[in-house]
Amino acid sequence: MTQVVVGQILNGIILGSLYGIIALGVTMTFGITGIVNFALGQFMMIGAYATWYFTDLAMFPFPVAVALAVVISAVAGLVADQALFRFTRNNLVNGLLVSIGLISVTESVALLLFTTTPKNMDTVIAGSWTLGAITLPRMKVVAFLMLAAVIGLTWLGLSRAWLGRATRAYAQNPEAAMLMGVPTKLLQTGVVVYSCAIAGFGGALYACLFSLEPTLGGLFILKGVESAILAGVGNLLGALAGGVILGVTESVGSLYLPSAFRDAYGLVFLVAILLFRPAGLFGGQK
Amino acid sequence: MKSLFRGSFAAALLAAAVPGVAGAQTATVKIGQIEAQTGPNAIYGYMSSQGVPIAVDEINKAGGFKVGDTTYKLELMALDTRGDPKEATIQLKKLLEQDKVKFVFGPFLSNVFVTVFPYAKQFNGKFLMMGGGTRIHEFVGQPGNEFVIRTWNWDAGPKGFGEKMVDYLVKTANPKKVAMLFQNDSGGKILGDIYEPIFKARGIETMTEYFEPGTKDFSPVLAKIAGFKPDYLFPGYSDAALYDIVRQSVEGNYSKKFFLVRGSTGPGLKNKDGLEDYIVYVPKDFEEAEKKEPKVKHFIDAYKAFYKRDFPYDQAPLCSSSCYDHVYMLVEAMKKAGTVDDVEKIRKTLLSMTYQGMWKISFDERSEQIFNFDIVHLRKGGTKEVVHVEP
Repeated sequence: MTQVVVGQILNGIILGSLYGIIALGVTMTFGITGIVNFALGQFMMIGAYATWYFTDLAMFPFPVAVALAVVISAVAGLVADQALFRFTRNNLVNGLLVSIGLISVTESVALLLFTTTPKNMDTVIAGSWTLGAITLPRMKVVAFLMLAAVIGLTWLGLSRAWLGRATRAYAQNPEAAMLMGVPTKLLQTGVVVYSCAIAGFGGALYACLFSLEPTLGGLFILKGVESAILAGVGNLLGALAGGVILGVTESVGSLYLPSAFRDAYGLVFLVAILLFRPAGLFGGQK
Repeated sequence: MKSLFRGSFAAALLAAAVPGVAGAQTATVKIGQIEAQTGPNAIYGYMSSQGVPIAVDEINKAGGFKVGDTTYKLELMALDTRGDPKEATIQLKKLLEQDKVKFVFGPFLSNVFVTVFPYAKQFNGKFLMMGGGTRIHEFVGQPGNEFVIRTWNWDAGPKGFGEKMVDYLVKTANPKKVAMLFQNDSGGKILGDIYEPIFKARGIETMTEYFEPGTKDFSPVLAKIAGFKPDYLFPGYSDAALYDIVRQSVEGNYSKKFFLVRGSTGPGLKNKDGLEDYIVYVPKDFEEAEKKEPKVKHFIDAYKAFYKRDFPYDQAPLCSSSCYDHVYMLVEAMKKAGTVDDVEKIRKTLLSMTYQGMWKISFDERSEQIFNFDIVHLRKGGTKEVVHVEP
């Protein structure tokens, strides 16, 4: 049984990194534009379908398909930002309404293009690693490493590069950042586009692990927001940790408790944490 | 006065000269449809909502159908419930009260049916509801529920496809333990209720687990099931979940033998190299039937021409419920009954008929459909055996 539990902890960590990348996008977008972009899950869906299309139908090599998926998600994010989100900056309610509308539109378009038949991408990395009773599919492990690398590089960029420091400065004090010459409009657009690009990257890896349906974005944005709140909105590395904690809670919880209520275990844990730390696990006390 | 006379004379001449203008009339019969065309559970309503418009289009393009002296064309009012029972209730209310529709196709989803049922029951005798939902079985054939017709085979009983599926499983594999994994909703729960006694009657030990709708990562529940050491995993109930269950079960080495009564061959074919056995109930194996059955080939060609896209072979079997054949069957019933308005007369005619379309369709004494089906047996590497069953 111990090995089964260890196996599920590892599985939860891997799944949680997918939640984490969406949480990273949520926390960055909220910090810079003041809106919770619930449509981020849709950019993940776009990335997932693009990867499936370029890999299985256009027969491109997987790395090329992932790169194209990220570019398409970023361009879709840029279009959405310029056409919609730039009019909702720092207006939580308007941003929320626009993102909900965008979810409806993108889901309908995906349904029209791909129908409800689940798309199952051909295996990219076959086989599993087995250690005792623990079996982990190789693709899952590779996906985790890639997601962790992107989150780590994002953190490095934000903490070391000038643009990253400018982004954090703007998130802390917009007026002061503007006075110091930070190009705010460009920065806001850049963060929205980057968030969409990494959501698309998450979607590309999702496509290697799970079947695709037009509604996949809705589930993951909820997990992403949960992870961001659990970690404390604004904490970038915390976003990954929040996702991992949520993933492990769900996986291990389903082993001992009825799996029919899997989503509830993460939510119960979130509520319990917020009761004691209202700013989240890694958020500052206010 | 003179000019009026001239006008009437001209009209009379025209009526005599042009056949059809004088005696025949053209009218419309409205058909309503409430199915989930979009949303997470659309996989069930999707194919039904795709097949009905093709039949309506074909009938109308052929000039309609004649009952008495009147030629009727069909008007389809297909509404997308998105799988939302509240939305479906509003739509049904619109169809029955505003549009005065007497024939409603759907719903395929049990939770939608259970919600709309109390409202729909008020119109018993005034309309027919032809749906495939599993839970319709509990209501169909009961006094006061004559308006309900179930357009799907029932699992249990002497003609039940589930009994025949389990018999096939016992005959070919003789399993001692079967683990069932269903979605935690109305449709999933009833599957557990149906199949536990069927397996028990054949001395097969079972374990039942439920998963949350929308689940993508099944590893934890599969790990839990693996502890039971089942000979076969019996997952359900739509491809949306089955693709992931089969793949993760094979990749994670949890179980490589599958038995299914809901879903398609798609998940098995996708994982054909990793699995050992995949036995699935399919109303019709369209790939094979296309080569042998002209009506199936016609439908596939009509689908491609109508929607200008590829034919969804994996979802097409769901056309066996409230779909293409049923439009033709309903029209036949109206013609035989000699009325498009007398719902009771049409119902009796419909239930006494045997219609030979893509399926051979008839109804039992409970107003529940009986139709021929296929058992598709995939083995490692994708070797496929199709067994035709005539209940």
